[in-house]
Amino acid sequence: MEADKWASFSEGTSDSEGYGEDPDDDDHCCAYASTDIPKLQFRKDISRSRWLDPLGLAEVVERKGGLWTTTGIVRNGKIYCFIEEILYLAEIGALHLLSKDDTPLTLEHVYNKVAEGKSGCSLEYYEAYKHLKSLGYIVGRHGIPWSVRRSKANCIVIQDTPEPAQSGDKESRNSILISEMINNMQIGGLRLAFDVYPPNSRFRKSAPGDPCFVLCLASEYPPSKEEIEDLERHSHGIPLIFCLVEHGRVSFFSFNKVELPVLP
Amino acid sequence: MGSRWKGKGAEVKALADPISEIVSQLQSSLISSNSKGLLSGTGVLLKADAELTDLLNRACFGRPRVTSEKNDQWFQLSTEEAFYLQHSLKCIKIVDHNDTELNSDELWKHMTSSRENFPILFKAFSHLRSKNWVVRSGSQYGVDFVAYRHHPALVHSEYAVLVLSAQDGNANGRLKVWSDFHCTLRLCGSVAKTLLILNIEEQQSCATSPSCLDNYAVEERTITRWSPEQGREKNVKSDPRVK
Repeated sequence: MEADKWASFSEGTSDSEGYGEDPDDDDHCCAYASTDIPKLQFRKDISRSRWLDPLGLAEVVERKGGLWTTTGIVRNGKIYCFIEEILYLAEIGALHLLSKDDTPLTLEHVYNKVAEGKSGCSLEYYEAYKHLKSLGYIVGRHGIPWSVRRSKANCIVIQDTPEPAQSGDKESRNSILISEMINNMQIGGLRLAFDVYPPNSRFRKSAPGDPCFVLCLASEYPPSKEEIEDLERHSHGIPLIFCLVEHGRVSFFSFNKVELPVLP
Repeated sequence: MGSRWKGKGAEVKALADPISEIVSQLQSSLISSNSKGLLSGTGVLLKADAELTDLLNRACFGRPRVTSEKNDQWFQLSTEEAFYLQHSLKCIKIVDHNDTELNSDELWKHMTSSRENFPILFKAFSHLRSKNWVVRSGSQYGVDFVAYRHHPALVHSEYAVLVLSAQDGNANGRLKVWSDFHCTLRLCGSVAKTLLILNIEEQQSCATSPSCLDNYAVEERTITRWSPEQGREKNVKSDPRVK
């Protein structure tokens, strides 16, 4: 196909030029021939997960490999993953997604779910996630605990469900997850998207510590002073980094309050 | 990015000769010589003897004009510099071509009528100057000002300064779109300066006289590109100027 020859892809489109160096990054983002598009190696450790449609999440039904220490949230001993996590793992071939009647879902299905926009994840949101993940950062949705202890989980259910929490285990679990999804915060066009932790081989979901920054997904226009201040109030002293995704290119900015010294 | 001193010994030299000291010498020298600046357009011309020439150069006020005149040296002061010397340091008089003196209010009116942004630009200028930073025009780098830790002969400018205000829908017009961010940061990066935004906020609306300057609050913010490739080794918290 003619179109394949001119395909450009998003690998290596990071805007990584630092001060002082000036690589001409226009050169290596376009493939001239379709054979130039790299393919990832086949993996033998493939986990499996089942899509839970009303929640917009998947439950991991078979875990393989070490990646689950930094992916997915733990609730009642089970791991659930968000659509960005599913897509990331599906793209690298580490996860198979099944529908609720266990028929395999293809990558196309996952792309469709992202396009649908019902699972709190847009393509830009995913690009930001993927960019940091592929560099080894540990990335979780902002404000959503990696794990909740059973006793604590029950408390949340009682608070959030108006009816007595008589309902079965599954239903209470659902209400926890749904209340968390709504929790995902949006201010104006801006969104506190991810809590980001540095690469850490000893990361534990039960004790993740403070993220090194909160990633805010930028909107069409740069944030105003008021918007920045508003977001800073909501990030509780954790540094904010703004992420702009344009044409599949990801750039990061920080807006730091400073105080210039009074010089002698 | 930090300060980049020009060669060995520059930092020591700067420390031994603080800008605050030079400016206060300049101030008393201007007062004792009863200096008058001639308003011409939005600039001001100032005649200086040898001592004053030395002080203006060292304090980095104005640009010397190259003339064939033997005894006196003429300096051209920018709008902000002239108003700072007249209004803030109260060490020069400003006269028009009829040798009529303009007081601060009249000069303010003149400056603001020819440049709408004068109030916020002057606030930014005086904010940095009063902290003893050397402030020069930033037009070479597409910004409002550049700020130096000491004299430009000893140190490279550290900050490229843009002045923004929330009032009048950001009349200075900068950084309204992302492409302007990319452009400005790319340029600042290639000349090794940190982009400093001074947000000027009016507490009460009254730009008609220089007394409004006291009602302006200034917020300093740096804007930097963050590189996730480099950020892996660095803790974001520990370095306020993350690259």
